[in-house]
Amino acid sequence: MTAQIGSPTVQITGVRKSFGAVRAVDDVSFDVYPGEIFGMLGPNGAGKTTTIRLMLDIFRPDAGKVAVFGGAMDEEKKDRIGYMPEERGMYRDQKLESTLIYFARLKGLSEAEARSRLTGWLQRLDLYDHRQKRIQDLSKGMQQKAQIIATLVHEPDLIVIDEPFSGLDPVNTRLVKDIIEEQRQAGRTVIMSTHQMYQVEALCNRIVLINKGKSVLYGAVDEIKRRFAGNAVVIQGEGNFNGVDGVLDVYQRNGTWHLPLAAGVAPQEVLRTLAARQDVQIERFEVAEASLDDIFVMVVQGETPDD
Amino acid sequence: MHNISLVLRHEIATTLRKRSFWFTTFIFPLLIMVVSLVPQLLTDQFVGDDPVNLLTGPAGGTQQIGYVDEAGIITSLPADLAGLLQAYPDRAAAMQALQAGAISQFYELPASFMQTGDVVAVAPSLSPLAGEQSQDLLRWLVAYNLLGNEQQASLVLSPLGAVQETVLAPAEVDNRSSVAGFGVSFALMFILFFSITMSSGYMLQSVTKEKENRTAEVLLTSLDSQQLMIGKVIGLGCVALMQMAIWLGGGMLLFNRGATLLASLGGVTLPAGFWIYLLLYFLFGYLVYSSELGAIGALAPSAREGSQFTFVIILPLLIPLWFNSIFLNDPNGTLATVLSLFPLTAPTAMVTRLASASVPAWQPVVGLILLAAAAWFFVRLSARFFRADTLLSDTALSWGRLRGELRKGVKRAA
Repeated sequence: MTAQIGSPTVQITGVRKSFGAVRAVDDVSFDVYPGEIFGMLGPNGAGKTTTIRLMLDIFRPDAGKVAVFGGAMDEEKKDRIGYMPEERGMYRDQKLESTLIYFARLKGLSEAEARSRLTGWLQRLDLYDHRQKRIQDLSKGMQQKAQIIATLVHEPDLIVIDEPFSGLDPVNTRLVKDIIEEQRQAGRTVIMSTHQMYQVEALCNRIVLINKGKSVLYGAVDEIKRRFAGNAVVIQGEGNFNGVDGVLDVYQRNGTWHLPLAAGVAPQEVLRTLAARQDVQIERFEVAEASLDDIFVMVVQGETPDD
Repeated sequence: MHNISLVLRHEIATTLRKRSFWFTTFIFPLLIMVVSLVPQLLTDQFVGDDPVNLLTGPAGGTQQIGYVDEAGIITSLPADLAGLLQAYPDRAAAMQALQAGAISQFYELPASFMQTGDVVAVAPSLSPLAGEQSQDLLRWLVAYNLLGNEQQASLVLSPLGAVQETVLAPAEVDNRSSVAGFGVSFALMFILFFSITMSSGYMLQSVTKEKENRTAEVLLTSLDSQQLMIGKVIGLGCVALMQMAIWLGGGMLLFNRGATLLASLGGVTLPAGFWIYLLLYFLFGYLVYSSELGAIGALAPSAREGSQFTFVIILPLLIPLWFNSIFLNDPNGTLATVLSLFPLTAPTAMVTRLASASVPAWQPVVGLILLAAAAWFFVRLSARFFRADTLLSDTALSWGRLRGELRKGVKRAA
C-alpha cells in the first residue's frame, strides 16, 4: 500500500463551516494523494459529509483552504471528480440507462461515448438487461451498483464514495471492492467514507477520523494500529465480560470476545479482575492488536494513547 | 452553457415523458370543453329553430301531441307538423287518447283564447323541459294559423334574422365588447392562467423531486445551483410555450375547422401586436411565477410541503379570474387598469383587456416594463434561494422560515 507520491490531489487546511449556531466542521485538515485509498471515518453527524461537500465545492468554507488538483475548484475540475453520496441520488421514476447517460453527459462525455462506456459497465455489474427499467423497479443492491457506475463512468481522477458497500450482498461487495482497488492501481485518488471498519482496514492506506467536527485521528492505517497496540484484549471463554473497570466496550467476533481498553489500563489488570470473578471462564487471554473498530470506539469516547 | 443546455433538454424530455403533462395538455381542456359545450349542444339539438325538433328526439322518434280547439282558430297544420299533431273534438276524447297512450300530452284552447291567450296543458307528469318545448310548438301552430303562412309566422316568432352591423366609429364601438369578444378574452385569460400555473408547477415538482430523490447532491458536483435553475427555467419555459401553442392551435382547429383564428373568434378583431403582447406577457409571467415556485421548491423538503404554499403564490394570478365580469362591463375602469398594470396580476389581466377593449397604447407597454422588472427581481430573488445548503436541506418549510429567507433574499437581491 504505497501512498503520498507526488503532490496531493486534495488538500484540506484548517477548514471551518457553521450552519447557524452549529459548527459542523471545525479546523479539519488532511491531504489525499494520487494512488491511495483514503478513509474518512467518524460517527454519524461528525461532519464527514459536510467536509466532503466542502471538498467538492458544494459548500464554501467559512475559514480555511480547500485545494483540489492543486487549486480552487472550477468547472473543468468538476468533470474529473466522481462522487457517490451516502443517500443515493437517482431519478427513481426514470429509466436506468437514460439517467446514467444524463449524469455522464454532465461530466463532459458525449452521448456516443457515454453509451459506449455504459455498455461495458452495465454488463460488468449485471445491470445490462435492466437498463430499460425504471430505477424504482430495481433492487437496492442494483441501485447501489447503478450509483457506482454513475460515479465512475467518466473515469474520474478523484473518486469520493460514501458507504459504497451499503445494500450489497457478499458477491457484489467483493466486486465493488475489486473495482475500488482497480481505481487505486490506475493511479486515481479514492476517498472512501464508511462505517465498515474491516473494509477500511482491507482497503485504505490512510485515514482521518472526524468527531464533533474536528479531525481527531489522522495518518497511515498501519501506523495508527501500532500506536494503539496493547489497548485491547482478546478472550476466548464463556461468561459475562461486562462491568470490568477500564474496558470501553465488549463485543464478540469470530467466537472470541474483544475488549478495547481505556488509555492507561494495563491488560494484566483486566486479567486479574476477570480471574477473580466467578461468572466468567477464561480459556485464552491475549493482548490484541487494536482493530480500527476498537480504535474508533476509543477515539470517539475520548480515550487515546496520549491520554 | 453546456451544462445549462443539458439540464434544459433533460427537463423538456422528462416533462414530455410524463403522462400528467399530456393529460393536462389534451384531456383536461377537452373535459372543460365537454362540460361547457355539451349542455349547449343538447339544448341546440332539442330546442333548435325547427319546431319539428320539439316533437322528434335526436333519433327522430315521434311523440304525438293532441289539441282541443274550442276557440276554432286552428284550421290547418304547417306541412312539417302534419302527423305530429292530433285534433280532438273535446277534452274527454283527448283525455281518453292520453290515457290510452296515443298521445304524450294535449293542449286545450278554450273559447276565450283570442281574448285571454290562456291555454290548458294536460300531461301525465310534470316535465318542465318537455313542457317548454311543446309550448314553443304550440306558439308556432297558433302563429301559423293566425297569420296564414309559415313565412310570416316565422317572422312574428323570431322577427330578426342575421344583423349586419356597420360601425361608423370603430374606435369607439368595439366588436370585442360583444359576447363573442368576451368569450375570446375569457378563454385567453384561462389559457394564460393554466399555462403559467402549470408550467410553474412543473418547476416546483422538478426541484422538489431532485431534493427528495437526492439527485441534487450529485448534480451539484457537476454544475452550480444557478446553472441548474437557469436550465430548469428555460427548459420548462419551452414546455410551457409548447403547451400554450397546442392549446391555441387546438382551439383554432376545433372552433374554426381550419379557417383563420380571427374569423373563428366570432368576428372579434384583436389589436395589432396582440399576439406579441400575449407571448411577452406569458413569458415574463412564467418567469415571475416559475422563479417563485422554484424558490419554494428549493426551500421545501418535499413536493407535498411545497405545494401547500402554491395556492398563496399563484393567488394574484387568480384575481383577474374572480373579477372577470369587470373585464366585460368596464374593461378600462380603474380596477381592470390597476390589475393589468400590477406585475403579479398583469399576465392574465392585461391580455384579457387587450382582447376585450381598446386599451390606451401606453398601458400594455408600461405593464410589460413593470412585469419584466418584476421578472428580473424574482429571478434574482429565487437564485438566492437556489443554493446548495437549501437544496440539500431537509428543514421543514414554514411561514416563519419563508419570511426569514425572504428578508435575507430581498436584501441580497436588492
